[in-house]
Amino acid sequence: MSDLVISGLTKAYGHTEILKGIDLELQHGEFLVLLGPSGCGKSTLLNCIAGLLEPSAGDIRIGGRSVIGVHPKDRDIAMVFQSYALYPNLDVERNIGFGLEMRRVPKAERAAAIARVAETLQITALLKRRPAQLSGGQRQRVAIGRALVRNPAIFLFDEPLSNLDAKLRAEMRVELKRLHDLLGATIVYVTHDQIEAMTLASRIAVMREGRIEQLAQPETIYRDPANLYVAGFVGSPAMNILPATLSVENGQPVARLAGTSAVVAIGGSAAVQPAGRQVALGARPESIRLAVPGEPFAVAAAVELVELTGPEKLVVAKLGGQTITARLDPNSRVTGGETRQFVFDPQALRLFDPATGVAIVSGAS
Amino acid sequence: MEHRPLAQTVLVYVAAIVLAVAILMPFVWLVIMSISSAPDLSSLPLHWLPTTFDFSRYVKLLTIAEHSAGEAFLSSLRNSLEVSGMAVIGALVLGIPAAWAVSRHREVGWSIYIAIGSYMLPAVALAVPLYKGLHALGLLNNVVGLAGVYLTILAPFTAWLLKSGFDGVPREIESAAMIDGARLDQILRRLTLPLAAPAVTTAALFALMVGWDEFFYALLFTSDDRAKTLTVAIADLAGGRITDYGLIATAGVLASLPPVIIGVVLQRALVAGLTQGGVKG
Amino acid sequence: MESRWTTLRAWLLLAPLLAVIVLIIGWPLVNTVIFSFTDAGLVGTGGNFVGFANFAKALHSSAFSSTFINTAIFALVSVAAEMVLGVLAALLLDQQFRGRTALRALMILPWALPTIVNATLWRLIYNPQYGALDALLTQLHIIPAYQSWLGEPGTAMVAIIVADVWKNFPLVALIGLAALQTVPHDIKSASIVDGAGALSRFRFVLFPYMAGPLMVALVLRTIEAFKVFDIIWVMTRGGPADTTRTLSILIYQEAFSFGRAGSGASMALIVTLIITVLAAGYIAAIRRNTLSA
Repeated sequence: MSDLVISGLTKAYGHTEILKGIDLELQHGEFLVLLGPSGCGKSTLLNCIAGLLEPSAGDIRIGGRSVIGVHPKDRDIAMVFQSYALYPNLDVERNIGFGLEMRRVPKAERAAAIARVAETLQITALLKRRPAQLSGGQRQRVAIGRALVRNPAIFLFDEPLSNLDAKLRAEMRVELKRLHDLLGATIVYVTHDQIEAMTLASRIAVMREGRIEQLAQPETIYRDPANLYVAGFVGSPAMNILPATLSVENGQPVARLAGTSAVVAIGGSAAVQPAGRQVALGARPESIRLAVPGEPFAVAAAVELVELTGPEKLVVAKLGGQTITARLDPNSRVTGGETRQFVFDPQALRLFDPATGVAIVSGAS
Repeated sequence: MEHRPLAQTVLVYVAAIVLAVAILMPFVWLVIMSISSAPDLSSLPLHWLPTTFDFSRYVKLLTIAEHSAGEAFLSSLRNSLEVSGMAVIGALVLGIPAAWAVSRHREVGWSIYIAIGSYMLPAVALAVPLYKGLHALGLLNNVVGLAGVYLTILAPFTAWLLKSGFDGVPREIESAAMIDGARLDQILRRLTLPLAAPAVTTAALFALMVGWDEFFYALLFTSDDRAKTLTVAIADLAGGRITDYGLIATAGVLASLPPVIIGVVLQRALVAGLTQGGVKG
Repeated sequence: MESRWTTLRAWLLLAPLLAVIVLIIGWPLVNTVIFSFTDAGLVGTGGNFVGFANFAKALHSSAFSSTFINTAIFALVSVAAEMVLGVLAALLLDQQFRGRTALRALMILPWALPTIVNATLWRLIYNPQYGALDALLTQLHIIPAYQSWLGEPGTAMVAIIVADVWKNFPLVALIGLAALQTVPHDIKSASIVDGAGALSRFRFVLFPYMAGPLMVALVLRTIEAFKVFDIIWVMTRGGPADTTRTLSILIYQEAFSFGRAGSGASMALIVTLIITVLAAGYIAAIRRNTLSA
């Protein structure tokens, strides 16, 4: 039995549709990330699961029973908010135990549960302090503690790391992953940060304008994005998208890049397509490298910008009117202004229909 | 929870109606009294809605005829306007520089507490010396004399509200202007005051309401038409042996119009100014 | 930009305001203090030095102590009622319902109404022959005959308190409402998910944010209540049988009706001291309990 099942969920305010039909299933122990830009509906979806909002139509089942119309406190969920939402006049201990207090859990039991959670989160020393005396990271732990102590069926996180600075965010990410591995909790996590999504999720739901564009494991989302939107959203620097025409040369499926005479080899399932078809060719920066002299299917591009980030060299170049970004080894000898030959890894290329944006897979047209 | 149980919704609407009725009814009754005929008001059982409308009191109070109620009323209206107006202007003239100084220079901040401390004094404490003082200066029963006394009531909290307003104007703007070579008075006139204009307006209107409302000093220090304010005039009407309650109600309605209009227009700003000043300590 | 010159300039800017305050408040205050030690009358200058006789007489007089009790009752009951009704109204106005904006705007009306007009209005309502209250109650058969609300010692103070509370609780409500608007949405959501009922939500989420501004309102209203004069003067002049006589009215009578300025001055100073002590006590309590930001 799945921990969470959502079917046909819609949510509208008057004439504005926020959620346009959401279906998903979550198994026990999964870490689902709802990923998308502001306004895509991810927080609305989370609030519907929590019961803070009621959907216009559709069903939500937690632990096998429908929770439509059920009060949040009876849904067996716990929530961690972006702003932590700690009760300012209560100390940390009482903040964590508040949900238990409201459910009239006996004092001794409460204290024990709080102590356990504080131990796990390493905030035992802070139990008697007030939120105003804590740092951002500490407050976030307390907020997580408040959710942990309830031992719910599902944890809901609403952009919990957005208010932290970059360094703290990276630390807390590791912390969250550790907790998830330790507790095997079922989690629904909302964020707009694709790095959080990629590192934390067991599955990602990429959302846009009230719909789920793709629901899959992070590797799948990254390697086989379902459409141009997903391809562009995940991965930084973004995937290069080049208009091209499919063709066959000497038995090798190729793509002729628009605006140039360049031709690249394409492999894999994308090979089974009618020649002459217009496509949008997707190539991630790391799938482009400098050509060895004399290598076949090399394309010439005018290097505009070279950025050394430390672990890699990012090269921005102009190719037939299009701009591409390549991710090269940091020791590569490239400078701005020169024209160099690049090679695209055939197995890493992905094809998309230029009109619909949908990925082209074998057998389908 | 987004949706509310029906019982709670019903409770909310019932409570809202009760509150609305409680707030409005006395007002509405005041207005009704002012346009009800005298027989309507003195009949038993009381007529809640007038059988005959009588607008004559409005006419009566608003026309100037020798020795009429209208003359007394209009001159008291004039006096109230003059006294409050002068006091507010004086409060602003004194308060703006003082508030600016306290806002920008923490070290003189404690002086404001002297001003605020005067709030603890009941008016009676100063009444006798003020009476004697005004008498000695020949300013008894004089709008200027009364305005001067009102100044001390209005100036302190006006300065308090103005200070909050100036606190909201970033010092960096003034520093930039100073570096550009502007004098202090130029900075105040062209930059700070325009930027703090909403707060200044709120403070001025609030002060006007308080001045308009004052009764005690007006009672003590005025005796006839030359300086008697609206509040004293109405108290006279109410305490006198007048049988036409409608007239009293009419005077009340007319006297209430300016502060009520100010209040409704400024409602949000007024409450914000009060809570802000309070929270900041 | 701190320097001796700028500080001097700050004092110069403050000077006019401070000068006026010293002149029109400070100097009379000094005079009052001086009077309080004399047996001066209202007219004529000075009087004979009598030491603390005025103060002693005031503190021992039954008139003073009974008046103090009247004032304390007035202050306690009216301020408590304003606070409770104000908080309830604020909570109501924070809810969602149609017409909420209009109701919020209406709330300013009683406070905007001049005190004298309010007092006069209620006096008319309480009128024993033609008043609206008697009419309403007899028509609803709640009371058998017209009563004299302001004329009976038992009801006069209550009647005045009702008029005063009606005028002032909306302001408390608006202050409370403004405070409620500062409660972060997430904390309300968190408390719902935590299973807090309405009462718990008020106690742990809403009230902490309301407490600060409401305490300030409490201090201001209490000070006002102890100083009260206008509304009592217009409604009952302190009667019947001095049952609604408050401290300010007593002092007024002492200084102006009986012409005993020195005695009146001493009473005024005692009252000022009481008010200052009260206010200081409140403010200390507020500082101890305020939410740290």
